[in-house]
Amino acid sequence: MITIENLTKYYGKNRAVNNISFTINDNEILGFLGPNGAGKSTTMNMIAGFLPMSAGKVTICGSDVSKEPVKAKKNLGYLPEIPPVYPDMRVREYLSFCAGLKRIPMAKKSSEISRVMKLLKIEDVQHKLIKNLSKGYKQRVGFAQALLGDPKFLILDEPTVGLDPNQVAEVRELIKDLKKDHSIIFSSHILSEVSAVCDRVVIINKGDIKAVDTIENLERSSGSDIVLHVKIKGSKTKAANIIELTQGVKEITKIDAEGNDFFSFTALINGGEDETKTSIMTQLLNSGIQISEIYTDKPDLESVFVNIINSRSSKSGMEELLDEISAEAAEKKEED
Amino acid sequence: MFSIYKKEVQSFFYTPFAYILTALFMFLFTFVIDGALGDLNKPDFQFTFPEVFYRIILYFIFLTPILTMRTFADERKNGTEVLLMTSPVNVVQIIIGKYLANLTVFLFMIAASTFYPIFTAAHGEVVMGQLLCAYVGFFFWGAMYIALGQLVSAFVENSIIAAVIGELIMFIVLFIDDFSMTDFIAQYPTLQGFLYAFAAQPRFAYFSQGFIRLSDIVFFLSAVLVALAWNYIVIEKRRWKRG
Repeated sequence: MITIENLTKYYGKNRAVNNISFTINDNEILGFLGPNGAGKSTTMNMIAGFLPMSAGKVTICGSDVSKEPVKAKKNLGYLPEIPPVYPDMRVREYLSFCAGLKRIPMAKKSSEISRVMKLLKIEDVQHKLIKNLSKGYKQRVGFAQALLGDPKFLILDEPTVGLDPNQVAEVRELIKDLKKDHSIIFSSHILSEVSAVCDRVVIINKGDIKAVDTIENLERSSGSDIVLHVKIKGSKTKAANIIELTQGVKEITKIDAEGNDFFSFTALINGGEDETKTSIMTQLLNSGIQISEIYTDKPDLESVFVNIINSRSSKSGMEELLDEISAEAAEKKEED
Repeated sequence: MFSIYKKEVQSFFYTPFAYILTALFMFLFTFVIDGALGDLNKPDFQFTFPEVFYRIILYFIFLTPILTMRTFADERKNGTEVLLMTSPVNVVQIIIGKYLANLTVFLFMIAASTFYPIFTAAHGEVVMGQLLCAYVGFFFWGAMYIALGQLVSAFVENSIIAAVIGELIMFIVLFIDDFSMTDFIAQYPTLQGFLYAFAAQPRFAYFSQGFIRLSDIVFFLSAVLVALAWNYIVIEKRRWKRG
């Protein structure tokens, strides 16, 4: 088990990480989410013992990272944001060096290197110079390095960046497989990935923890608004009236003209999902409006994420919020 | 520690790096010997290998930083510092591993340079005792320079800048005794004494004259230790203030 207690990091006067605490249980994948500049990489660097913390404590399998670094780091595999590879080394040579660093006994070295190369499917490039590899391969070589020696605890900072969709799926499967005998903390920008892979998520923004929970709980607690999409052919005003006035509909958030008399409506509903849908369908058909599609969206992790990060409510359109977040991130970058 | 040493040595010898550096060293050696041979017809001049070594340490200033410039600067540039720091090794082991690797290349260069005395011995006379002392002195001199160069490399991220700053510092180390002997400094005997205490060149001169004095060995070894300890402090300090 890995415990993180009151972890704080100051860069000069800037507080990058503010008093965060959470634990990673055995055989658990913990997702680590946050917009750019939220303090994700700083936190991971501190957990890995690369950056000293300004305050707080990290315990990996019973050893304090700052007091017994060598002991704690034996149980740790770390894949940083930029894979830490030497461009002038060959893949196998590099892994052999890392195996030495991780104090893998000579007798086991070769089989261990073959094992991780097989897991990451990099055997075919083992004699190539790392500088000649594509980004995806470099990423996987870095990942292989983290798995050497089979450490109990893995820190993966955006492990799927730079991989093609096929490889992304493979690496996700691998991470899920690794869960059997590892604890994993895993950061990503891709929310669907986090919801597909992680058991629990920690959401941080500007150095503060915004939420620590399972994905299901977060979805449930994020408010009961469900998004309804209706595409019709016929009178726009008439349809808008019907949808707006149906019981259970909170408001219409968007109307798009699709040409040829087709219109798409997006609305928020807070009543019973099926009842509202049926009621709308009946009324529309009764007034001679044709329905080409109707469906609802559950609040997914993305909207939960947006709501939690940007507590200014979910009333405006989702995309607007997403834009705001990236604008904020850009602003923050400029400030830095 | 051994794995770091091995990796560093491989990075020197699996690439042309060590060989080119050694070739350059041989070239400088030839250059200096050629110069010394040219001086043969001067009165009072006697061609000896210690004299050659004495001359070569000037050119050596330009060679050592090339050897040491990448030591830590490249780790940072590649982002591999993270790998070393998050592995179960401590910073002292990293520094010593890298230092020994640099020293190995230096020994390789020294070994190559024995070609000249051997060749000379085959055709003339070489005072072996004196030659040996000169080699010992040269080794300590290089050991000190490599520690200094490695220290400079820990300060910066760009290896070229590390080389240039390293050259400057080695230049100062080489000429600090001449500087302390200038009339200006001679006005302040305390300052002169202080500066002269750091002078490495006169200590090297003893070696090249055939003396191995404990105080000189202690001087060079402590210079190495101070530089390596400082190296440790620089790396730790940067981790603490990184931002």
